[in-house]
Amino acid sequence: MQIVIDGKSCNAAPGQSLLEVARHNGIDIPSLCHHEGLPGRGCCRLCIVETEDANAKDANGTANAEDANGTANAKDANGTADAEDANGTADAEDTNGVADASPKRSLVISCVYPVHDSMTVYTKSEKVIRLRRTLLALLIEHAPDAEGALPAYCLEYGVTGYHGLLNIRKDEKCILCGLCVRACEELGNSAIQITRRGVDKIVAPPFDEPPQDCIGCAACARVCPTHAIDCLNDDERRTIWDKTFPLVKCAACGKPYATADELEWLKEKLLDTELNLAYCPKCRGRASRF
Amino acid sequence: MILSQEKLLGLLQKYPPEKQHTLAVFQDIQQECGYLPKEHIIEAAQYLKTPLSQAYAMATFYRSFSLTPRGKYVIKVCDGTACHIKNIHEMRDTLARILDIDAGNTDKDGLFTLETVSCLGACSIAPVMQINDEYFGSLTVEKIYDILAKFYEVESYEKERSEV
Ligand code: SF4
Ligand code: FES
Ligand code: FES
Repeated sequence: MQIVIDGKSCNAAPGQSLLEVARHNGIDIPSLCHHEGLPGRGCCRLCIVETEDANAKDANGTANAEDANGTANAKDANGTADAEDANGTADAEDTNGVADASPKRSLVISCVYPVHDSMTVYTKSEKVIRLRRTLLALLIEHAPDAEGALPAYCLEYGVTGYHGLLNIRKDEKCILCGLCVRACEELGNSAIQITRRGVDKIVAPPFDEPPQDCIGCAACARVCPTHAIDCLNDDERRTIWDKTFPLVKCAACGKPYATADELEWLKEKLLDTELNLAYCPKCRGRASRF
Repeated sequence: MILSQEKLLGLLQKYPPEKQHTLAVFQDIQQECGYLPKEHIIEAAQYLKTPLSQAYAMATFYRSFSLTPRGKYVIKVCDGTACHIKNIHEMRDTLARILDIDAGNTDKDGLFTLETVSCLGACSIAPVMQINDEYFGSLTVEKIYDILAKFYEVESYEKERSEV
């Protein structure tokens, strides 16, 4: 199907999200809590855009337009030539309707909004920009110490941060988007969660202790848009969530590539596969090609 | 109070070992123990085949669960709008002063726990507090003293009797 984003006609497939389609077509929409490999939850709202829906417009159309459609249908039953004529009329009327009634736009969260046929999207309208600025101001207020994408977007949108309006720790980095939790559920061992509630809400392992279930895969730290999760690596060890894991080196290239616990866990999970876990993914690929 | 292995197992086995029963299991444990002991959360999560992180998140989300032992009497002071405009904060401060604790804590004898809740649903008799299952409405600072005095009286009476 075809949709129009910022005046550009884009190819889209059913089931894709608007954000996906936009990025695929080289149109960037800012996002914090989205990761292409993980299910979307629409938490940060930064990817907000405006849409205009041709079909919705029809349904809300003027009496005239509906009349014309009615005529078209009636003539359809009578004969092909007439029907074509009537369709022509209907279309003409339709365009007239659009011309004098300004089409209704709605705001949607593009990372979780599925595309549908003949929609028109505006990713940089005045309203969208204004909303994004508000969202960014609130986010930076909540996570004044955030690194990475959030301060970068603030700069881009001219949001000068932190007024100390909320009773939040000044060194807070986390925007509670939950991306780390999703990553841990999908790739790791569900070791962390968003815990407590209200203003006390934090991402934490059970009982705020080094999590027993953690295998040290560091998926959480990698996906975090604000670098809120500390992960320290040296040649031998990785420390994350106050837990230290020995690192295993690739048998071919010698680079540390996984924790021992992660490999143990993988072995159990992938019982019958013949992945050679002695190699890092890169060398493994290379080895299988020869 | 921590349950014996047997008792806990009996409680757990009332439910099929599925995640969807976590809340019900926690309510039962809270009822029995007055709080959710850490070891019980861990065992419940194992039994319900639920990641411990998710069980813990649930235990910390609901106000009706506590992760630390609570007093024999739990005082819930309303922090809702109706009570707010009826000066509930004066009553709360009075309670805090008498019990020598802040909201969210338990006094040193383990007798009273002081908590605030968003609305007790009894706004027509605001300002309101609840002690265990009993409601006390139209509060004044004087009333607070009287109510607490009665509880202390009952306590010392029971203590005496148990010593005889
Ligand atoms: S730690 Fe990072 S990924 Fe996790 S909720 Fe906070 S901001 Fe999101
Ligand atoms: S990227 Fe966060 S809501 Fe879409
Ligand atoms: S506001 Fe106190 S009972 Fe509703």
